[in-house]
Amino acid sequence: MLEKLHTTAKVGSQIGRSLPRTESRDKVTGRAEYVHTMRLPGMLVAKLFRSTVAHGRIKSIDTSAAKRVPGVFHVVTIDDVRKVIPDAYYGPAFHDQPILAVGKVRFVGEPVAAVIAVDPHVAEEAVQLITAEYEELPAVFDEVEALTSNVYVHDELRPAAAFADLKHLKGIKNTNVALNYRLRRGAFDTAYAKAAHKFEHEFRTQKALHLSFEPHATIADYKDTGVTLYTGSQGPSFVRTEIARLLGWPENKVRVKVPYLGSGYGSKLYIKLEALALALSMIARNPVKVALTMDEMFYQITKHPCTFRIKSGVDEDGRIVARKCEVLWNGGAYADIGPRVAQKAGLTAAGPYDIDNVSIDSFAVYTNVTPAGALRGFGVPQLTWAYESHTDMISRALKLDPVEFRRKNLMRDGGQHTTGQVLKDAAVEKVMDLVLARMDWAQPFDRGTGVVRRGRGFAIAIKAVTTPTTSVAIVNISADGSVTLSCSTIDMGQGSNTVMAQIVGEVLDIPAETVRIAQCDTDVTPYDMGTLGSRSTFHMGHAVRLAADEARQKLDQLRRDLGEPKGSNISISDLFKKRYGMQAGNIIASGVYKPDYVSPDPETGLSANVTPFWMISGVGAEVGVDTETGHVRIDRLINVIDCGKAINPKLVETQISGAALMHLGFTMFEKMHLDGGQITNASLADYKIPGIRDLPLMMENLTVENIQHNGPFGAKGVGEVATFCVSPAIANAIDDAVGVRLTELPLNPEAVYRALRAKAGRPLEVA
Amino acid sequence: MIPFELAEPRSLAEAIRLLDPDDGTVRPIAGGTALMLMMKAGVFRPAKLVSLRKIENEYAGITARTDGLTIGAMTTLADLERSADVRRYAPIITRTLLTLSNVRVRNVATVGGALAHGDPHMDLPPVLMALGASVASISPDGKRGPIVGGARGHLHVSGVPRPLRRHVHRRDQLVLGQDGLVISGEQVFHQKETDAVKSARIVASAATEKATRLNAALLRRTADASVEEAEFVADARGSVPYKRELMRVYVERAVHAACTKTGRTDGHA
Repeated sequence: MLEKLHTTAKVGSQIGRSLPRTESRDKVTGRAEYVHTMRLPGMLVAKLFRSTVAHGRIKSIDTSAAKRVPGVFHVVTIDDVRKVIPDAYYGPAFHDQPILAVGKVRFVGEPVAAVIAVDPHVAEEAVQLITAEYEELPAVFDEVEALTSNVYVHDELRPAAAFADLKHLKGIKNTNVALNYRLRRGAFDTAYAKAAHKFEHEFRTQKALHLSFEPHATIADYKDTGVTLYTGSQGPSFVRTEIARLLGWPENKVRVKVPYLGSGYGSKLYIKLEALALALSMIARNPVKVALTMDEMFYQITKHPCTFRIKSGVDEDGRIVARKCEVLWNGGAYADIGPRVAQKAGLTAAGPYDIDNVSIDSFAVYTNVTPAGALRGFGVPQLTWAYESHTDMISRALKLDPVEFRRKNLMRDGGQHTTGQVLKDAAVEKVMDLVLARMDWAQPFDRGTGVVRRGRGFAIAIKAVTTPTTSVAIVNISADGSVTLSCSTIDMGQGSNTVMAQIVGEVLDIPAETVRIAQCDTDVTPYDMGTLGSRSTFHMGHAVRLAADEARQKLDQLRRDLGEPKGSNISISDLFKKRYGMQAGNIIASGVYKPDYVSPDPETGLSANVTPFWMISGVGAEVGVDTETGHVRIDRLINVIDCGKAINPKLVETQISGAALMHLGFTMFEKMHLDGGQITNASLADYKIPGIRDLPLMMENLTVENIQHNGPFGAKGVGEVATFCVSPAIANAIDDAVGVRLTELPLNPEAVYRALRAKAGRPLEVA
Repeated sequence: MIPFELAEPRSLAEAIRLLDPDDGTVRPIAGGTALMLMMKAGVFRPAKLVSLRKIENEYAGITARTDGLTIGAMTTLADLERSADVRRYAPIITRTLLTLSNVRVRNVATVGGALAHGDPHMDLPPVLMALGASVASISPDGKRGPIVGGARGHLHVSGVPRPLRRHVHRRDQLVLGQDGLVISGEQVFHQKETDAVKSARIVASAATEKATRLNAALLRRTADASVEEAEFVADARGSVPYKRELMRVYVERAVHAACTKTGRTDGHA
C-alpha cells in the first residue's frame, strides 16, 4: 500500500490537486501522536479544583485531606505558584488571567487549586477532598447589563504590552469594557434622520462551545536549563513568547512541541493550560500533564455570546443610506482574545454593503462566566446573523425583492469597503449569484402542504483576515534530494500539511507526497503567528512558496557553481555528490511573509489597507417547518464561498461542509444553559452537537472561480468562511415559510413554536 | 476513575453469587455503555463489577414463537436490530433501534442492560412496555423471579440505584413521536417516553382497541387526557408548557398514524 501510494505520486502541477490528506493513514490506524495520549518518563498528572461560585472572595482553601491521599505529591494553590512565578498572570491581549485564582474567583469553573499525583484517578479523588469557602459577591452575566453595571469583574484593566494600541487602557478602573472599537464613516445621524425608511432591530447569540474532539492537554517538563512544553496548541510561537515572559527567560530556553491536534476551532489559540502546566512542573520538578476532560472544556473557553443592535436608514429607491451597529461581545471573566474579536469583527459589522454613512461601536465586555475567545469566524458569524436577518426584514417590510435589494446595495470590486479600503478580488455578487442559481431561485417554489410549510432564504457575508501577521518557513533539501518543510502551522485536521506540501512540490517540481513536513517544535520550526482566522494558506502559503523558491535558486546556483550546462538534468543527489564527494550536505532556504497593513485611525476606524484579502460567503437554505411542533427540517443547504484558487479542491470542500455543519449546530440547537452563572448542561450528554441525523437532506459545498491576485498561486483562506451565513439563511427561510422572525439563536423547535403561537395571538405561557 | 475489581464469571449462577444487593459498589455490567458513562462522570464508583459477557450463551439470542418473541437479556441491540424475526413480529423495535444511539453503542449494549438501567431517557423500555413485553428475572438467592408484565407499567429494574444524569443523545425528546407509535395486531400504543413523561401512563391512556375506532373528537380527547396525566419536567431540551404541547400533538399524530397505518408522525404526508 505504501509503495502504491508512492508510485501514484503525481509529477507535474501540484496546485489544484485533490491530494488526500498526507497524515490520514497515521490517524486512521491510530498511530498519530496527540498530547492527550502522550506519556513522558516520570510524568505526574494534575487535576483541578474549580470554583463553584461565579464571583466571590476566597476566604479559605482547605487542602489538608487531599494532601493525605496516597499517591498525591502536591496540592497547589496560587500561593505556591507565586513562589516560582511571582507575577502569575497571562493572556494574549490582557495579562488578566491568573494561573490559579488570586484572592477572588470570577466564574464558576475557574481553577482554584491543583492536585499533582501519580495518576489522574488519584488526582481526581484528591480534588474531591479539597474544600473552599467563598464570600459571594454580586455577579454580572449578561453583556448588556455588564456595560452599565456597577459590578466590576476586574478591579483594573491589565493590557498586555504586546499590543501597542491597548496601552492607554492600563490601570483603568470601574468598567467592564475591555475594548471599544469604533468606526465612523460619513455622518450617520444626519443621513439616518433624513432617510425615508428607518429600521432598528436587536439580535442575540448564545453561549456555545468549540468542543474540539481532543480536549485541551499540555505537558510541561521544566528544568533550570530550559523548559519543554508538549501542548495541543494552535499557536506554539505565542506560547513560547508568553512562557518566556512568565519565566523572564530568552525564548530559546523555551521549547514548544505540538504533535497532531484533535481539532481546535480557535479554542487552543494563544495560551491556555500552558502557564499552569509550567508552574506545576516547576513545583513538582518533574514533567506534569494537565489534560481536561470533555466536561471541563465548558470551563476553558467558549464562543462569544453577542448582542447586536442594528439601525438602518433606507431611501425611496431602496438604497441603504445609513447604518449604525452597536455590538456587545460577552467576553466572560478573562479577556483571552476577546478584544481582538471585538475589533477585527467590528470592522465588517455593517456587512458587504456599500453604505456611505456608517457608525460602528464594538465592545468587548467582561462578565462572570467562562471566558470567550475566537471560534471559527472570529465573531463574524454573530455579526452576519444580525445584519443578514436585518437585511431580510427590511426587504420584507418594504416589499422589495431580497435579491434585488441586496444587489442594489452590494459592495463591488473597485468600490470602497466600509473601512475605506478599495475592494479587490471580493466576489460578493458572484457568490450570491451561484447560491441563487443552485437554489433555482427564479423558479416557483413548493410551499408545502398540511402542517409542514416550506420556505427559503439566503444570506451573504464578508470578512477581513486577522492582520498584520507573520509567517516563516524553512525548506531543507537533503543530499539525496528529499525535501523537508519546517513551519509552525498546526495541522489540526484542516489539512494544512497537505496544502503546504503541495506548494513545496509545485515550486520544486516534485510530487507533494514526497515532501516531509516536520512536526512543530519551536527549537527547529520557525515563527508563525498561529493557525487561526483562515490565515495559514495565505500567509504560511506565501512563506513556504518563498522558501521553496529560494531553495530552487540555491539548487540552480549549485548547478552553475559545479559547471553544469544550462538545462542539465543532473539529479539532485548527483549534484550533492559532485559538490561534497559523497551523499552529504543540505540546502537550507527560508521564506518570510507579512502583508502590508495600515493601522485603522483610532478615532474613525478607517484605513486604506486593513486586510490583504476578503473572505466571501453565501448560503441558501430551504426548510420545512412543522407548524404544530416548531420543528425545522433543513431540506437544502447551499454553501458557496470565494477562496480564490483552490489549492486542494477536496480539502476546500471538506472545510466548507465542516464549517457549515458546525454552525448548523450553533444555529439550530447548541446552547450552554446558564443559571446564576452555573452551566447546567456542561457535558456531552446534555449539550448536543450535530449528528448524522441533523444533516440537511441535501447539501452542496461550492466555490466560485476567483483568483486572489496577491495570494500564493491565487489562493486565500477557507477554514472559517462557510460558517458565516448559515444562521441568517435559515432564519430567513423560516420567516419565508411561516412568517415568524426569530432574533435570538438557537432556532430550536421551542423557539419556533413560541413564535408561531405569539403570531397566532395565543402566546405559550412562560415556563 | 479509580481502580476496581472486575470479575468475569462463566455462568449466571456464579455471577449471582458474586453480586451483593446490599453493597451499592458491586454491580453487574453487560455492555457497559451506560455504566461506563456514569463512572467517567464520577457519579458511580464501583468496588467490583461483575461482567456478564462470559456467562452461558443461552442468555443471548432471539427465539420466535407464534405468540411472541423471547429475547435473551444479553442480546445486543445490534442483534435485535438485525433480526428478521423481530422485524416481522414487531417492526417498531427495528425502527426504534435505527435511531437509538449509534452503531458502536448498539454493538455492545444489551437488551437486559437497557431494561435494568432504569433511565427514563432510554428508547427501548417504553417500546417493549407498549408491546406488552414481560421480563423474567432471577433473584440473588437463585430463585426465579416472577414474570413482570410491562403492561402494568413496571419492569424489573435492578442494578444502578439512580438514573443516569447524563446520557448521550443523538436525538432529543423534541423528535418525540416521530417513531411514537406501536402497531401490533389491533392494538395501538403510544410508546415513546421522554425524560418528561411517564411512559406507563401514556400506555395506559392511549389504550388499545378503542384507538383504532377513534373519531377525530375522541382522538383529541385522548391526547388531552394523556397530557393531563403526564408529569413533565423542564430541561435543556424544552420547557414544561412546550413539552405539554408536543405531547398533545404527538399522541394525536401517533394514534392517527396507527389508524391510517402510515406509521408517519412527523407531520409529513
